[in-house]
Amino acid sequence: MKKLIALVLALAMALSLVACSSSSSTTTDSSAANGDEVIYLTIWSPTDEAAVEAWWVEKLDEWNAANPNIQVSREAIDRSDSYAYDNKIATAVTSNDLPDIFYVDGPQVAYYAANGVTVPLDDYFTAEDLEDFLDSAVEQNTYDGQLYAIGATESSVAFFYNKDYLTECGVDVDDLDSRTIDNPITWSEMLEIAEKCTTDSYVGTHIIMDHGEGLPYALEPLYVSEGMDYISDDGTTAEGYVNSSEAVTTTAWLASLIANGYANIDPIDDEFLNGACATMLGGSWEVATLEESADFEWGVTYYPVSDDTGTAVSPCGDWAAAISKNCENVDAAGEFLQWLMNTENVATYAAAIAKPATRISAYDEEAMADYQEGARALFVEQLQTTASARPRSPSYSNFSSDYAEAMTNIFSDAASTGTVDEEYIQSELDRVSENFTENYNTYYAE
Amino acid sequence: MTKASNLSARKRNERIAAYVFVIPAVVLLVAFLVVPMIYTVYYSVFQYQIMRPDDIKFIGLQNYVKLIGDSDFWQALKNTVYFTVIVVPCQCVLALALAMLVSQKFRGVAIFRTMYFSPQLTSMVVISILWTVLYNSNPNTGLINSLLTNLGFNSINFLSNEKTAMNSIIFMSAWQGAGYQMMIFLAGLQGIPGEQYEAASVDGATKFQQFLYVTIPGLQGTIKYVIMITMIQAMKLFTQPYVMTQGGPKNSTKTLVYYIYTQGFQNGNFGYACAVAAVFFIIVVTMSLAMKRVTSATD
Amino acid sequence: MNRRPQSKKASAFLNKFLFYAGNIVIGIIFVSPLIWMISASLKPEADIFANMNSIMTFIPTNATLANYLEVFSRMNLPVVFKNTLLYIGLILIFDLIVNSICGYALAKFDFKGKGLILNLVIALMVLPMEAIMLPLYIEMSQLGWVNTLQALVVPFIAKCFSIYMFRQFFYDIPNDLLEAAAIDGCSPIRTFFNVVMPISKTVYATVFILDFVSHWNDFMWPFLVMTGENKRTIQLAVQSFFGTQPVHYGAIMAALVISAIPMIIMFVFMQKYYVEGIASSGIKG
Repeated sequence: MKKLIALVLALAMALSLVACSSSSSTTTDSSAANGDEVIYLTIWSPTDEAAVEAWWVEKLDEWNAANPNIQVSREAIDRSDSYAYDNKIATAVTSNDLPDIFYVDGPQVAYYAANGVTVPLDDYFTAEDLEDFLDSAVEQNTYDGQLYAIGATESSVAFFYNKDYLTECGVDVDDLDSRTIDNPITWSEMLEIAEKCTTDSYVGTHIIMDHGEGLPYALEPLYVSEGMDYISDDGTTAEGYVNSSEAVTTTAWLASLIANGYANIDPIDDEFLNGACATMLGGSWEVATLEESADFEWGVTYYPVSDDTGTAVSPCGDWAAAISKNCENVDAAGEFLQWLMNTENVATYAAAIAKPATRISAYDEEAMADYQEGARALFVEQLQTTASARPRSPSYSNFSSDYAEAMTNIFSDAASTGTVDEEYIQSELDRVSENFTENYNTYYAE
Repeated sequence: MTKASNLSARKRNERIAAYVFVIPAVVLLVAFLVVPMIYTVYYSVFQYQIMRPDDIKFIGLQNYVKLIGDSDFWQALKNTVYFTVIVVPCQCVLALALAMLVSQKFRGVAIFRTMYFSPQLTSMVVISILWTVLYNSNPNTGLINSLLTNLGFNSINFLSNEKTAMNSIIFMSAWQGAGYQMMIFLAGLQGIPGEQYEAASVDGATKFQQFLYVTIPGLQGTIKYVIMITMIQAMKLFTQPYVMTQGGPKNSTKTLVYYIYTQGFQNGNFGYACAVAAVFFIIVVTMSLAMKRVTSATD
Repeated sequence: MNRRPQSKKASAFLNKFLFYAGNIVIGIIFVSPLIWMISASLKPEADIFANMNSIMTFIPTNATLANYLEVFSRMNLPVVFKNTLLYIGLILIFDLIVNSICGYALAKFDFKGKGLILNLVIALMVLPMEAIMLPLYIEMSQLGWVNTLQALVVPFIAKCFSIYMFRQFFYDIPNDLLEAAAIDGCSPIRTFFNVVMPISKTVYATVFILDFVSHWNDFMWPFLVMTGENKRTIQLAVQSFFGTQPVHYGAIMAALVISAIPMIIMFVFMQKYYVEGIASSGIKG
């Protein structure tokens, strides 16, 4: 028993020692900063694959060696999903523990900006500087006329198809291959392909069904193409937008895919890769996996357009860096971001993370050589011509989960009844709009 | 010294010992559970956007008024109660059955115990992902539906139909959770003196009679404890709907804790989430104290 | 005439056979996800969700160690295991002492406030972590504990579930035993350490296993309070694989298999505390 008590005491002491040592080390850090005028900056960004982690180490070493007065360190944040990452930001906000710079997903930029969590970057990125960036990327990171985040990478979605299987089903694959951005396939063409290719062992197509942000992200171009976005341009209302007759038409078309069994209501990941579906509306991130693992010939063509309007639209948006309200040396952070987002860094980062770059000049760099032709070039072309940023509204994240929930309900209804109920669709979308109004009026309306 | 003073000295010693024993736990519980709980209740009377802690506004009982008219809240309460009422008996009976299977020493018992406990050794998030795939509605990609169609049945949209989604989660939760309660039953079974079984068997009691008249009474305390903690854990259901269904379809798997979490963190309505949490505490505390009363009345 | 003993022998054999067969079938149902996880961890990415409609999904046909290599390159395993075992170890040591003495006092001592404390313990069991996460974080921040070991350990030492479980088990210890110790001159505290603790190994083992497992699966709290690669715990390292698109399920499964190994070892090791009691009794066979 004496031994036991001794052990407990020893552990308690060890614990308090850990406490002391950790608190003392932080104090020496800050005193050094004041004494030698060295500025320390911390960055938070999501943990990524080895190549990206290595990129950060290499680049920060380079910067820190060249700038002894601004020392930058990065903490990799092990998020499980983007909600978890937002929780970490939210808790850090409550206790002013935010890092100087943190990465934020495109549609969240407005949310953080409207709540004063991030500060504008216009002083560090002039209109002239931004000319080299894709319009969509600048648009996504701008709120209320000011730039709040700057990113190196982009994303997009297009129509993938299994060439071997489509040929088997009598679809003209050469025609699909030869489409250009001015002549993309229409919804009815997509529906026709899906219908032809739906058999006992295949479903015709695949829609991202992650019950989260993936759904509004990948489907928004359908709505814009039909003529009505989710939310008004100024981001203040969804009434008459997400519940407009155009939106109901679009949603009904999607629900018909489910009702007819052309798409699965709860598709597994890798459905396309595993040869269980003939086509998919898939992201630019799928290309690398398909190149590596697909045991069939596949192709990709532009995002389908509405038959009624023929307007070509495609999704975009990716993680971007923002400066937090807790940053004490905004100028130093801005200077660092200018360097971080230079052409060479953007190109090498985009190559490491295997995503399209935001800077047009980055595509001339050797690191981006893959993007000159094929599937990757198609995504870049979409980003340069048809990309449309998601609504920049502080209530977008609420909208996103409400919309995903409504779509789950609508699809579930379509799957169990085998029919499309436009009245039900209208009522669900009305609820999305009401919730948006409530959230916006509670927190953001003047 | 007289016997009486000896006894009172013992009583005094016992009281001192009692305080020495309970104080560390009580101090920690108050500091890290009671204090945050008080804060939660405190924030429930504010309008609090989670990203703006400097800009909170006192709004009295408005959050509670909103809650009374909030159909999602009532649906979540209903779902939580439904889940609890079904899963608690299923899981407890399953756990007791498993514990009986592996309570004796036989060759390989450790292996079987590990097998039954193994769903606990894998994180709930992964179990949920795996079951999402097993429950997949397409017979080409879902194991269970593939079995069903091979046997000539129609496939079932387990998780994407509001009629089956919660039951699918219940089945999977009972399967996953039973190992936990099994361990507690095993510990309880070790406490039953072997002589009682010997005596019963000498009297000619069958195995089933032994179970009924020796095991069950011997496990009385354990059974009460297990029912109570299973109930409390069931009321806190969160991960399965969070990963597998996001509360859908048609709110059929939205639970109270899921609602608290999504309102507070995902939607940023932290003040409102605190009000839901406060009501949740009151409901579950009332339930569990009532249960304790009922069970301790039979002690 | 001698058919009887033979048939008795045969039926004993049959019983035993059925007993094992039943255990094996049920065992397989329980262990199948673990098997699937191991199998998936050995498959190339394209194979993982292929064949989900047949039993073949449990068999890695093109087995590869590539997923494990990816995990080793992304996870600093020694640091991750050290961090995790350190914080869980600290929690458990204090957990077993603090909660067992409290449970004992609630079971066997008479004192003022006992009913109140017992009700408090039951009431607090109910608190979901999701509801008190933010206030608790603010508290950690005010104490200056964010990003330190204390934030992972101290709030989780006292556990209502453990206190109540100890209380339930100590409650069943015969009072005669304690009386006897008292008559021998043992103080109540000595009685607990010298008499009660040694005969309660199974309860301690149970609380140890259950709390070890639940902390091993902790994600959200360590994620909120700890920042930095050298402070990463096992679940942070595992969950980080979910964060990158496209998700590499093969690597996730490999990471999970690695993370399950210490738990399995712990569980098998703790079995030795479950062999007493019934083992010696007549109910066997």
